[in-house]
Amino acid sequence: MNTYNPAYALLLFFAISLLGYLLFRPQKGWFWVIKNNLKSNEKIVIEDILKQLYHTENSGKEINVNSLTRALKFNDRIIVEVIGKMTNNELVQFDGDVLKLTNSGRDYALRIVRVHRLWEKYLAEKTGYDKMDWHEMAETKEHELSYEETNLLATQLGNPKYDPHGDPIPTTLGEIADVKGEFLSALAVNSVGKIVHIEDEPDVIYKQILAENIHIGSQIRVVKNNKQRVVFYAEGEEFKLAPIVAANITVRILEKDEIIEENRVRLSSLKEGEVAHILGISKESRGESRRRLLDLGFVKGTKISIDLKSPMRNPIAYLVKGTSIALRKDQASKILIKKD
Amino acid sequence: MNNNSIKSIIDLSSDLRWKIGDDFYDGLAEGIYADASKIASRSVSTENQNKRFGIDSKIDKIVTSKTWGFPIMFLILGVILWLTIIGANYPSAMLSQLLLDTIHPFLKGLATSISMPWWLDGFLIDGVYLAAAWVIAVMLPPMAIFFPLFTLLEDFGYLPRVAFNLDYLFKKSGAHGKQALTMSMGFGCNAAGVVATRIIDSPRERLIAIITNNFSLCNGRWPTQILIATIFIGAVVPSSFSGLASLSAVIGIAVLGLFFMFFTSWALSKTVLKGEVSTFNLELPPYRPPRFWKTIYTSLIDRTMIVLWRAILFAAPAGAVIWLISNIYIGNESIASWTINSLDSFGFLLGLNGIILLAYIVAIPANEIVIPTILMLTVLTNGIVGGQGAGVMFELDSANAMGDILRAGGWTLLTAINLMLFSLLHNPCSTTIYTIYKETKSVKWTTVASILPVIMGFVITFLVAQVWRLF
Repeated sequence: MNTYNPAYALLLFFAISLLGYLLFRPQKGWFWVIKNNLKSNEKIVIEDILKQLYHTENSGKEINVNSLTRALKFNDRIIVEVIGKMTNNELVQFDGDVLKLTNSGRDYALRIVRVHRLWEKYLAEKTGYDKMDWHEMAETKEHELSYEETNLLATQLGNPKYDPHGDPIPTTLGEIADVKGEFLSALAVNSVGKIVHIEDEPDVIYKQILAENIHIGSQIRVVKNNKQRVVFYAEGEEFKLAPIVAANITVRILEKDEIIEENRVRLSSLKEGEVAHILGISKESRGESRRRLLDLGFVKGTKISIDLKSPMRNPIAYLVKGTSIALRKDQASKILIKKD
Repeated sequence: MNNNSIKSIIDLSSDLRWKIGDDFYDGLAEGIYADASKIASRSVSTENQNKRFGIDSKIDKIVTSKTWGFPIMFLILGVILWLTIIGANYPSAMLSQLLLDTIHPFLKGLATSISMPWWLDGFLIDGVYLAAAWVIAVMLPPMAIFFPLFTLLEDFGYLPRVAFNLDYLFKKSGAHGKQALTMSMGFGCNAAGVVATRIIDSPRERLIAIITNNFSLCNGRWPTQILIATIFIGAVVPSSFSGLASLSAVIGIAVLGLFFMFFTSWALSKTVLKGEVSTFNLELPPYRPPRFWKTIYTSLIDRTMIVLWRAILFAAPAGAVIWLISNIYIGNESIASWTINSLDSFGFLLGLNGIILLAYIVAIPANEIVIPTILMLTVLTNGIVGGQGAGVMFELDSANAMGDILRAGGWTLLTAINLMLFSLLHNPCSTTIYTIYKETKSVKWTTVASILPVIMGFVITFLVAQVWRLF
């Protein structure tokens, strides 16, 4: 106790806190980095290479060893070494300096893609993880689930066809539904379509799309498209995106008979005194939240109006079937109505 | 049917399912719900179609209005807390007169007259009986006032409006508006607050409410806060302001508790709890006249008595332990003074002392007996005249006399402030811990709920002590 000095005690405390922070902070903490490095064995490298090749070939591009090492986070030496092994096992082959998947390599890649997308679907439906976290978590999980576990998961989820971003999930046999559509940035003015896919990479752009509150499955109409801005209407709201952001959204052009009347708006736009009928719940409302809304009577054809606004104007209580039910703004934006 | 045709049927079905598209399931589910609600609306008729447009709607407009919503809320909560704290003083004094000053000496006399051995007498009467009696005297009156009042409001239908008004604030910290209610309930008793989280039907928000309920100062801790604030905080300002100063100190601690509640809720929802399923909905039921007597009866039986009974069950053994550690000697020292000595340097780092830490360990079962235990241990280890004997908890009638004992035990203003902080930020009492386990059925979350606040308490008191000593 003789050496006690409050200043030293404080310094020691902050030093320990800092160390703890550096070790255990989410993702970049040294502890996690070391743990991940220990885990990143050959299997993960092989699977990541296969996946990278699959995605490049799917988008109609070609890739060589150089661009591959740039795209992946692993040590270059390890990647070259692993590619050598993969050529021996006939997972990949060289066509000149272009690297290509063999048939068995493609099958393997599809299995990984299947796990990844199924896991994202699982996270969306059965857990409360934020959209931003899904991709990263699926990136780890795709190397861990076995063939049997994957099939069990698929059965539990009701053999879904698409993941929450709208990407098709390959079946066990490797069949894969194709997403027909064009990038939002390439659409002509006045074309009407339905958002079928929202790309979750890179993070920066995905964050912007989420912040705009754009929902998959909603019908859109482009009103302006130039080099600076893509402007479109969806669910009664106007959205303005930079073309680079719009390029990450895929839209399927709708046929004449598929187009639904345009006075389909979000419940969040309902004003006090107005009466409306519910048209449905957006695809963005998933899992437990969606079921709860249906349980409470937010179903097609129900009459709805505003009962009360809270002092902060969020949540708002809606009158549904004679009961007053409060919903938060983000929930209300996922319920579609038609004003009377 | 032969295998071939079975296979072809399965192939056909999986082919069809593939073609049918992804929207099919959602559409089917929605269709079923829509049909069900159509059938229901055809066959169910309600008499009172426009009940939302009468007096209900007028009340709602006022209690959720921008101007009046918050003032009405704070007024009601303030009145209830005031009624509880002030109103409980009288029956508490009577109960403690009866149980501690009359029955306790009577039992001691009885024990002497039948020449019971001193250790059995001490163990049973000074230990077990005294702790149980103390808990009853301190805990019963406030709970018997607080819970019925709270239940009346609940029955009337006002509480969901509070959740509605406050949801925006709670949403910011990742919690549910109804947590406002469970927190208020926690001001009465944390165990009851934890049980009350059943009204939150979203798993993540419910866990948050359970884990952070301890940041509501409960009935067992209000008296400690008030007493210490009166003795030490009130003494540093001119006597005409001492009442105001100590009152503000206590309110300050309670508000600090709210701050920690919001902060911890936010931190939990962003880290360990982010994977739990989260939904939101809040029904605003119509108002109805409270069923007065039924409410009084059920709140007394369901909440007060159950909590009290559990508290006694836990407090009685604690009394026994307190008596035992002060009366069992290892070598020349009692277990108590031995533990106090070994905890002293850690206590000093936190701006507390070994006695306080030991009191908080043995008083895990019931926060009510912290102050009596501290007084007893202070007298015992410092050889001050005035106690009741080893292992016999006591309190004095005058706050000044208690202050004298504590100051003689080496207490300063820093000790007092840190005790108030530590009383806010320490592990929940064993009744609450047990209730958390019963509600969550999870050892993991029970551990988190128990350990997290005490770690925060250590950190905060440590920081306060170091900064205090620097200046």
